[in-house]
Amino acid sequence: MSWWCSATGQAWEWTWRAYPGVWLFMLALAGGYLWAVQGSRPVEARRGALLGGSALLLIWVLLDWPVGALGAGYLVSVHALQFLGLAFVAPPLLLAGIPARRWAALAGSTRAAAGFRIVAHPLVAGPAFNLIVLTTHLPSVVDDLMVRELGAFLIDLAWVAGGLLFWWPIVAPVPARAAGPLGKIAYLFAGSLIHTALGIWLLLSRAPVYAVYELAPPIGGRSVLVDQGIAGGVMELGGGVIIIGAIAVLFFRWAGAEDGTPAGAVPGTLPAARVREP
Amino acid sequence: MANLAAALDRLPLEVTRDVRVVFVTTDPARDTPVRIREWLDAYDPRFIGLTGTDEELTSAQVAAGLVPAARDSSSTAEYAVGHAAQVLSYTADNLGRVHYPFGTRQTDWTHDIPLLHAVGRAAP
Repeated sequence: MSWWCSATGQAWEWTWRAYPGVWLFMLALAGGYLWAVQGSRPVEARRGALLGGSALLLIWVLLDWPVGALGAGYLVSVHALQFLGLAFVAPPLLLAGIPARRWAALAGSTRAAAGFRIVAHPLVAGPAFNLIVLTTHLPSVVDDLMVRELGAFLIDLAWVAGGLLFWWPIVAPVPARAAGPLGKIAYLFAGSLIHTALGIWLLLSRAPVYAVYELAPPIGGRSVLVDQGIAGGVMELGGGVIIIGAIAVLFFRWAGAEDGTPAGAVPGTLPAARVREP
Repeated sequence: MANLAAALDRLPLEVTRDVRVVFVTTDPARDTPVRIREWLDAYDPRFIGLTGTDEELTSAQVAAGLVPAARDSSSTAEYAVGHAAQVLSYTADNLGRVHYPFGTRQTDWTHDIPLLHAVGRAAP
């Protein structure tokens, strides 16, 4: 039995396979999230259920059979789709669903809170995220880790953790910063540089980049290079749409606020969630 | 086969016109000539497929220095065949040059095939 989806080298079969490690991971994640949203006001609980529930469902779909297995050992395009979902879609949804009461706990003066403020600083979170994205896409790292269950788990975990780190300064109200919308837009732009470069690299490479996908049993009738091109397109277009969408939301809400229009529920400026730093 | 085909597509014609890729089945009962042709055509119509009797195929494998394929007798319906997965390269001077194991990548082929081609042509 396999605990986590990894590259096995076996011919692909549309036969369901159990991955208990994925279920345990999802149980732990869902348990932690339920703890975070428990005792919330009804409005916050509904918001948490909708956003957090969507994020958890997405993570589960991306990690479990068949998507998880296809992305781990057969199609680099599915691997790219997993990356987008785990690092760019699920983390902001998870963060946006956490109620204000929980954020307040992170605004205290404890050593843990102080350390957390350093890690969540944009100048730390942004470069750390880019480093994670770069490292987890290096051919030597991918080829070495994806053939092992623990290695594949580490890559998936790094994407979720890196995504939480990256989106934290944008979505989370703690620690409160005076960067403003323009600062956040610049942060988002800078944060998209590495994955954009990786997408272009995959699109333009004339040879397969990753041995694990090049040597995988064929599936889907398309060549490795075509699939790699699709992966580059997924990273390029999918990531671009998400980042530009987030930038557009920030910009138009900022422009609306400049016009005197109420900002509304802007991610990161939620009135109900705003917590003053000590 | 897919990687070999993709590598040959990237090499110059003066090299590839002299290259012959020959696939030899180790399961003649299921790999009929028609089936082999269909399978190879999916990669490259220039690829050549060979089959024979069990005895002939075993002799060929032994002659090539390979461990003969063995059928998994645990199942009669959907049996598996354990077989060598190397690609053996022979140059124009009829010498076997390199055994390429499973895991040989397209970049390896595009690097080595022109060298093998040149070696074979240069040989007396």
